Amino acid sequence: MIHVRQLTKSYPDLGRGQFVALAGICLDALPGQIYGLLGPNGAGKTTALRILSTVLRPTAGSATVNGYDVLTQPAHVRRQIGFVSNNTGIYDRMTAWETVAYFGRLFGLEEDWLRERMERIFDRLQMNEIRDVPGGKMSTGMKQKVSIARALVHDPPVLIFDEATVGLDVLVARALLQTVAELRELGKCIIFSTHIMREAERLCDQIAIMHRGHFLATGSLPELLDRHGERDLEELFFRLITSYDQQDAAGGVLARAGT
Amino acid sequence: MQWSNIRLIFLREFRDQLRDRRTMFTIVVLPLLLYPLLGLTMMQVAQFLGEHRSVILLIAGEPLSELPPLVDQQQFTAELRQAPEGDLLDVVLSEDPPAGAREEALRQLAAQRTQHRKFDAVVVIPAGFGQALSRFQAELSASDGEPGERPAVAAIPPLEVITNKASQQSRIAGARVESVLRLWRQKLVEQSLANSRVPLAATRPFEVTDTDVAPAEVRRAAMWSKILPFVVLIWALTGAFYPAIDLCAGEKERGTLETLLCCPALRSEIVWGKLLTIMLFSAATALLNLVSMGMTGAFVIGRLDAMQMSGAAVEIGPPPLAALAWLLLALPPIAALFSALSLAIAAFARSSKEGQYYLMPLLIINLPLMMLSVLPAAELNLGTSLIPVTGILLLLQALIEGRYLDALPFVLPVVGVTAICCLLAIRWAIHQFQSEAVLFRESERWGLRVWLRHVLRDRGETPSFGEAMLCGVMLLVIGFFASFFAPQSADWRTIAASMLIVQVGLIAAPALLMTIMLTRNPRRTLLLETPRPAAIPAALLLAVTLHPLVGQLGKFVQWLYPLSDEMLQALRPLEASLEQAPLWQLLLVVALVPAVCEELAFRGFVLSGLRHVGHKWTAIVVASLLFGLAHGILQQKLTTCVIGVVIGYLAVQSGSLWPCIVFHATNNALVLLVGRLDAGLLERAPVWQGLFRAGQDDTLEFHWPVVALAALLSLALLFWFRALPYQRYDEERLREALDQRTNEPPALAESTWEEDVAAGPRR
Repeated sequence: MIHVRQLTKSYPDLGRGQFVALAGICLDALPGQIYGLLGPNGAGKTTALRILSTVLRPTAGSATVNGYDVLTQPAHVRRQIGFVSNNTGIYDRMTAWETVAYFGRLFGLEEDWLRERMERIFDRLQMNEIRDVPGGKMSTGMKQKVSIARALVHDPPVLIFDEATVGLDVLVARALLQTVAELRELGKCIIFSTHIMREAERLCDQIAIMHRGHFLATGSLPELLDRHGERDLEELFFRLITSYDQQDAAGGVLARAGT
Repeated sequence: MQWSNIRLIFLREFRDQLRDRRTMFTIVVLPLLLYPLLGLTMMQVAQFLGEHRSVILLIAGEPLSELPPLVDQQQFTAELRQAPEGDLLDVVLSEDPPAGAREEALRQLAAQRTQHRKFDAVVVIPAGFGQALSRFQAELSASDGEPGERPAVAAIPPLEVITNKASQQSRIAGARVESVLRLWRQKLVEQSLANSRVPLAATRPFEVTDTDVAPAEVRRAAMWSKILPFVVLIWALTGAFYPAIDLCAGEKERGTLETLLCCPALRSEIVWGKLLTIMLFSAATALLNLVSMGMTGAFVIGRLDAMQMSGAAVEIGPPPLAALAWLLLALPPIAALFSALSLAIAAFARSSKEGQYYLMPLLIINLPLMMLSVLPAAELNLGTSLIPVTGILLLLQALIEGRYLDALPFVLPVVGVTAICCLLAIRWAIHQFQSEAVLFRESERWGLRVWLRHVLRDRGETPSFGEAMLCGVMLLVIGFFASFFAPQSADWRTIAASMLIVQVGLIAAPALLMTIMLTRNPRRTLLLETPRPAAIPAALLLAVTLHPLVGQLGKFVQWLYPLSDEMLQALRPLEASLEQAPLWQLLLVVALVPAVCEELAFRGFVLSGLRHVGHKWTAIVVASLLFGLAHGILQQKLTTCVIGVVIGYLAVQSGSLWPCIVFHATNNALVLLVGRLDAGLLERAPVWQGLFRAGQDDTLEFHWPVVALAALLSLALLFWFRALPYQRYDEERLREALDQRTNEPPALAESTWEEDVAAGPRR
């Protein structure tokens, strides 16, 4: 469903020079699977997801979503995905119903089908009480529900959640994770980025631990723990990150020493 | 592009803006309230000023009884009150000034009183005024007109009117009292003439009459034609900018832009949808302001007329209806132009607050173009019609004044230029929406040290777009300041030395310095590669074949924008000096050195950097604009800009600076050599008659068939350059690949999802 090969993204940065946000990552995500991107802030998760959603262009490498190339067929790729980010991206002056309908129409859905689909989504996500509430008057949790509804309205085979639980209270976050799990059962291919270990442990079928644009380890949770001899994902995560930083610092010292 | 997506985006943005209180206040409420409030204030001020009585302190240095009748019971005499607004003056007499006070003391006292607003104005009648006046009148009556017997007018001390110019009431009082005093003087003159038995008609043997052939409505239209188009343009710009900020920077701020970019709508569809919304609000703002201003204007002027407040009010009258019709017709292109510009600029802003800062530069660029049209010397011709914004205003003025036949020939140029500007602005806006650097620009703390470290550490092979623009603008600024030190002497040696300093020191040196400091590959930056052997003779031949066309272009530009007589006078010494200079020195200084120096700067550093924009023609045109602007006068700027496009094309296609230098030097040399020939050559050497004919001012002109043949040969040579496999930049390759591959049919999907989704709900 999603195939990424040597995906690289770099851009000029005033302070850091040519900054490499993604350093040749590879991944394969399949239908009915949740692929977790686990990494600290600045690991490159959002950059990777923005490339998959065709908002950014890769510097090198390739990525296909449901067979379409993100660089050369962006319009086709966008039809295959639903994107949910932590800032929700909900219009303040439009109601929940208007927002979801607007995006449904942009995806070219027929009016009857769209209305039926929206009724189902609003029922399922328990959004009927906020149907006519403008975005500016919604709580963060309500906004995130609308954001999910907007991402689901065109029934995409691929869903991308970019740190979608940030800023949500425990109850709403739990409900969101439940929804994600249900979507997997429907056969969706889901990319789920987070920096919360428990979410990755509970939810993800495949996990990639990211740091500074690199994948430090990939595999299912049992595989990762088994391969690295750890019992806990958090310990594994901490060990990999620390080890990478130490090696990186040593490499820097050697480079400066000219050896 | 799909119209359905554009319509969807337009309708959403439109509804969103309707729900935005700030936008609605600026666009609807403000114009509806502003002009009525202004009108009300104006009427009240007029009413106040009309009814307000002025108090005059009259300080008489001698008893008033000794003067001709001036004051009667705290007012000027009934006869003098007939002066304009003379009946609105109250007089406070001070016939007993402080003991020992002289004229200076009286003036000081009066000035102090006026500033404290106890009196609106003060009239000082100096001591001895009445006596001197009486003596003058008596001497005048007694004299029989012999020159030696004429009385001395200078012996009468002057009256003084003291006002405080910082006060409006005081200024009005001053004007009123001066009109009364003028009438008083007039009465005295009449009295003196009567005493001397000279008829009054002697002072005015004939009248001067003023006949205006323009009917009142035409005069009215002429006045409104200067105001209304200006109002429409200013409000169209303002009305476009605020929605543009909300639709671009505001969306970035709220995080909704990224959501929209994840949808199937193309970036161009998003831009068009937003553009239509901004256009609608821009046009609505201008229209509401126009209607509100027109209605308020008609009402206020009518009331002022009824109140007989001002004689001018009768002349002004309400705006003509035809003016509104023409403005309505012109509104869509005006709104489109400003909306596209605002959208492109607003897309660059990271936040609404930052977007507000960009309004000022946009106004600064547009205001001079608007002001050009109201200059007294500005008139609609081909030259002015080709200036964006100015052309629209001048055309509207002509149409509102009813000069349809004058306006008709320039409708096409104005519409054409406006359409081109609109398209360029829309392209720019779409480009902004495709640029990651613009859409996802994050605030970085800028510091000189950080920036310098970045510039030196992260040098590219060739300069960046920003560095190239910086170089181009820097060369223009240096050239501007250097022009203040241009030699005043017409001596050839001084001129030559000055030209060499400018070329080597102020054009080539900065470009070379920036190349060394900012790039890793000076050879590639300055295009010092060896070209194909045939490219150099081809460039030389192209310069020769293009020369007749360059001559025609120069003539066309001079016809379009003729040189003023002052400019011709100023250029004459320089021309004379160039004619006397030794030919080899002239070719070296005017042809070869500029060719090397300017090419290193403009086709070397500047063009190499600009090519990172990803489109060779954009880079060539921008570099040529900078090249053109770096030249002296407007006419030269236009011609060199066009030549710059040709040289830029040679640079890109050949990948080398050498053909550019050869072309540039040959072109300059031919201009000098042919300029030195005169019509006498045709008699001295008839062989040239096949090429030239005698033109104006003893110059030579190419025969038209020669020009046509030269054009054909030039085209052939340009096609030869076009066939060269030019070296593309990474950005150009990416752009070409995207353009080609997005047109291809989609690849086959590997999952059944695609079939499910495609077969399902889509239209």
